[in-house]
Amino acid sequence: MSDEPREEGQGPDAYTRQVLEQGLSRRSFLGRAAGGAAAVGLFGMGASPALAAAVKEPKADAFATSTDGGATLTFLPKPKPIRDREISETLTFDVVVVGAGASGVPAALSAAEHGAKVAVVQKAPFALSQGNTGSGIDLAASEKAGVEALVARLIADSNHRCNPKLIRQWAYHSGEAVRWVIDRAKQGGATVVDQGSPAQRAILKVNGYGMGYVTSFFGPKPYTTGDGMRALAKTAEKAGVKFFFQMPAMQLVQGRSGEVQGVIARGHDGKYRKFLAKKGVILATGDYQNNRAMSDYFIPDVKHLERKQLDRTGDGFALAYWAGGVFEPIGHTKMLHDFDAGPASMCDMPFLAVDRKGRRFVNETVEMSLLNNYLKDAENAGHYSQVFDADYMTQAATWPGRLVPPEGLKNYMPDEPGPKKGVFESQVNTHKAGTLEELARKLEVDPATLVATVRRYNEVVASGKDSDFGKPASFLAPILKAPFYGIHRRVRVSAICSGMLVDEHHQALDADGKPIKGLFLVGNLGGGFYGGVDYPLTVFGLSLGRCYTFGYLTGRHVARL
Amino acid sequence: MTILTPSRILGFGLAGLLAASLGAAPAARTSKHAARGVTCAQCHGKSGKPAAVPFRQCQGCHDPADLAARTAQAKPTNPHENRHYGTQTDCTRCHHEHQASENLCLPCHTRFTFKVP
Repeated sequence: MSDEPREEGQGPDAYTRQVLEQGLSRRSFLGRAAGGAAAVGLFGMGASPALAAAVKEPKADAFATSTDGGATLTFLPKPKPIRDREISETLTFDVVVVGAGASGVPAALSAAEHGAKVAVVQKAPFALSQGNTGSGIDLAASEKAGVEALVARLIADSNHRCNPKLIRQWAYHSGEAVRWVIDRAKQGGATVVDQGSPAQRAILKVNGYGMGYVTSFFGPKPYTTGDGMRALAKTAEKAGVKFFFQMPAMQLVQGRSGEVQGVIARGHDGKYRKFLAKKGVILATGDYQNNRAMSDYFIPDVKHLERKQLDRTGDGFALAYWAGGVFEPIGHTKMLHDFDAGPASMCDMPFLAVDRKGRRFVNETVEMSLLNNYLKDAENAGHYSQVFDADYMTQAATWPGRLVPPEGLKNYMPDEPGPKKGVFESQVNTHKAGTLEELARKLEVDPATLVATVRRYNEVVASGKDSDFGKPASFLAPILKAPFYGIHRRVRVSAICSGMLVDEHHQALDADGKPIKGLFLVGNLGGGFYGGVDYPLTVFGLSLGRCYTFGYLTGRHVARL
Repeated sequence: MTILTPSRILGFGLAGLLAASLGAAPAARTSKHAARGVTCAQCHGKSGKPAAVPFRQCQGCHDPADLAARTAQAKPTNPHENRHYGTQTDCTRCHHEHQASENLCLPCHTRFTFKVP
């Protein structure tokens, strides 16, 4: 089975054309600034004189203010090149990977296995990643029509704003890539299993066509893919990859025609090192959620929402942008979850849900992964609570998801003594109480408000019709009998998964749609794979599966250049 | 919960020798380091324009591995050896000299209520 390209017309595809027209590149930015009218539209009234000045004399404050004037792209001014006499050491490799995460480590190992001499420069003191599940399609167990049906589903999940070629590439190569990651991570001592198709129950058939999956699982928590990537890095080291930790990349080295020749990184000792790359530089630096200016500019929706990660400052975005790369247009895709406060299998069960004050706010059939859209104000900041009573095991028995019995819920209760298993102990936030008022205090909501909300909810339930939010009657269960339970979830930004324009080789494209020689972008830095308001949960582990797959393919591709 | 007191934090090797050999520190700003005789330039450089203090500068006197060992029994967790940075958390992410220190853990781990000196 293959994803051989179908007959296409001349020139870039529709996705690429749109990003070239509406995305943000250095050239388009400067061009729009000079254009006056366009600059006003994009960067706010009255901004253009400052922008015109900034073209000559870049000033961080004057550059690229958002339409509401509140967000400024301080990363935009291109820094003065680091001079050769400031370089303490120059090292030469075939491939230089920036970032040792779920895409960077596979890219490095894959390149090494295909004969390249590889360096990885990593800002942190070791390899890092988050999450547990990374998925691919088991082609041998899937019907081709099913693969295409899933591709269509994923495109729809992205509100038809993604690059279909990249979705198809994941679909037809992910099984191979995820199996490879499992095998190589095991060699490095990782605790990893293939959970296969049973982990993807909802998509065993897509549009009636049969499907099979490879589902890698690094876990259970607190063991994560971070531990997995550290194990994979051991395998990579054995394969000859050289890792340089605490070594943030500062600038790319570019030739006269803009081709990328290497990376300049700053060591822990404060000295600059130049890493020349004969075949190419692969940036795998992750998202930009901790870069306030970039976030406010490209995805203001998450302004008041908490971040799960640290140091995701969008370094690769800045590097690729300075080299001529193109940001996907404003309206980036976000991923906000809380699988930790209570059982993950209960996160989408349509129990009564209340906001941070204690008010009902939604038809609870809306999935946890989308609730951030209702809670993005400063007051709620992603916090809500699921509330149910002593009879939940019987009342919710037929609801989607999987119930955890009271004894098992203790594992998620910070007030219960004793060691916890398979959870992040510092993140559990499930509570039990004899009265609603006591539960409210534990959930940090207003007791009187919660009591009133439950009273009203019980009226709705008794009437048999949800006249407040329209939830199906089968999901209406009263909250009457103590003990009362609550799961205080707070959805935080796991990742921002929009990126910069790449082609099917994951090579960065410039504002003309031409590949930038020597520059490749993978992981959350790579664009085109999403496009919806929120990351879709159709395929559990799509995000890591895509990171592994594109790292694996790109490492091999660059090694063969 | 074990509270990390200033004496436990600072007691691990701020070199007395260094402090003794380098004259009086300016008293203009509050600084525990200054109180122990460390000059501005020792942390901020000699250019006259005080530069941000890089992690390696702290490590000239403070050994992170040693510090992590000293706080190994801290409850609920050892802040100096963590999943994010191992023992290599930049000191200045939490500890500030001229303004109130902060607890980097707290926004995400709401029960890691360390008092940061």
